[in-house]
Amino acid sequence: MRGRRVVITACAAISPIGHGRAAIVESLRRGVSGVKPLKEDHLLARFIHSRVFGTVDYPVEYDFKRTHRKTMGPVAYYACQVAKETLEQSGLSPEFITSGRLGVAFGSTHGSPSVQRDIYRTFFTGAQGEFSTIGAVDYLKSMVHTTAVNITKMFGITGRVISSSTACTTASQSIGYGYEAVKFGMQDAMLCGGADEYDTTTVAVFDNLLACSTAYNDRPACTPRPFDRGRDGLVVGEGAGALLLEEYEHARARGANILGEVVGFACNNNGGDLILPNMAGIRETLRLGLGDAELSADQVDFVSAHATGTKMGDVIEAQAIHAVYGSHPLVTGFKGHMGHTMGSCGAIETIFVLYLMGEGFVAPTLNLEEPDERCAMIRHTPGLQERQIDVAAIQNFAFGGVNTSILIKRFS
Amino acid sequence: MTRDEITGAVLEIFRREFEMANPGLDDDLRETGEFDSVDAIELLLEIERLLNRELTHEEKQMAMEIRTIRQVIDYVEMLAVKGQGNGNR
Repeated sequence: MRGRRVVITACAAISPIGHGRAAIVESLRRGVSGVKPLKEDHLLARFIHSRVFGTVDYPVEYDFKRTHRKTMGPVAYYACQVAKETLEQSGLSPEFITSGRLGVAFGSTHGSPSVQRDIYRTFFTGAQGEFSTIGAVDYLKSMVHTTAVNITKMFGITGRVISSSTACTTASQSIGYGYEAVKFGMQDAMLCGGADEYDTTTVAVFDNLLACSTAYNDRPACTPRPFDRGRDGLVVGEGAGALLLEEYEHARARGANILGEVVGFACNNNGGDLILPNMAGIRETLRLGLGDAELSADQVDFVSAHATGTKMGDVIEAQAIHAVYGSHPLVTGFKGHMGHTMGSCGAIETIFVLYLMGEGFVAPTLNLEEPDERCAMIRHTPGLQERQIDVAAIQNFAFGGVNTSILIKRFS
Repeated sequence: MTRDEITGAVLEIFRREFEMANPGLDDDLRETGEFDSVDAIELLLEIERLLNRELTHEEKQMAMEIRTIRQVIDYVEMLAVKGQGNGNR
């Protein structure tokens, strides 16, 4: 459906391979892994077989004042920091930011699991000697839309709020629904993204499902291994990404630096099993995305694969990519570098694509050394390529059978 | 607790928990932009800790109209006196 053009005019990420463009580009060029040993949490870690985590292991400096900090758990710190950097980079005026013409589409998998853990501790220990130990702010820190509304509060944003919480498609839905809100004139700009904090609960969930990597516990940087014969599961990670989506004429009129154009989005559901990947559902999402973008498959020259490194998921995804795009586009799965950053992965991976577009190179899937023969029919990026991406597809799939595809064009 | 002790304790709560170093006793807390409805609920928890007892629903309701630190001190003094009358449950 035709609508207004939507461009990306700023973005920022905190990821296991760096904070900000320079650090992330350097890591992508050098093939750096952000996967580190799982940290002791005095609760779950010792029961988890997978001993690795995509970790933000460097300090992040925050200068938030108390009136903002008081309702923020760790996930909201991540979200507000990338939102702050994105708004600063965008050059949008305070008048526009607070005008109601800017909305927020931002989410996380759980709200803040560390705050939820404190709440449960109160339940189970009886909190002897304390009064009202579940504080007034605990809900505000732990609720599912905590990232979105801490952002609106911090910057005085009065437009629409969309807060998807669909596990691994949280951030890609944020971008997609933000894109549609601007495209169809509901908002002139949307601040979109996702965040997830360090959390062993998520690792335990996937560990219980035998979906986590365990064979590389002594060599964290060697896992996950998307599409590789030696892959043995996913690695949970943490991070945050934010993108400013803006109506093209508005961006042009104010002389904004345009990083790329969102030209298509699709989201569907497999309509059945809530865990197993589904070839028909994924294939249909990719086709719907192309349809929305009014592009043919051969116009897409790069695919950012969801590629978590699980036995079955990577095979189904490779088949779906081949069915829709053939063996034309280069394919990279960024989770090889940083693990699966859950509710933030759609945003972080989209930002990585924008960085590659801006820098004129393509990074390969880290740890993909020998493709599984069932994944070998697609065109895996064969080492670092000095090559310009013009049109990219970013795909993500989530528990619950949710699939998304975002299509982005280099702006010239 | 004497009123001076209560004043010192309340100012310490505002310094420590709300990062308000030198608040005026008669400043409207809402108008300072540094104190809102969430803080008011947190303040009640701090008052419970100070008095070492849980406030009743009715006592908490009485705090809803408080706007200044002097009113907070008055409120805590009233609760402290009441607590002594009740044998400090």
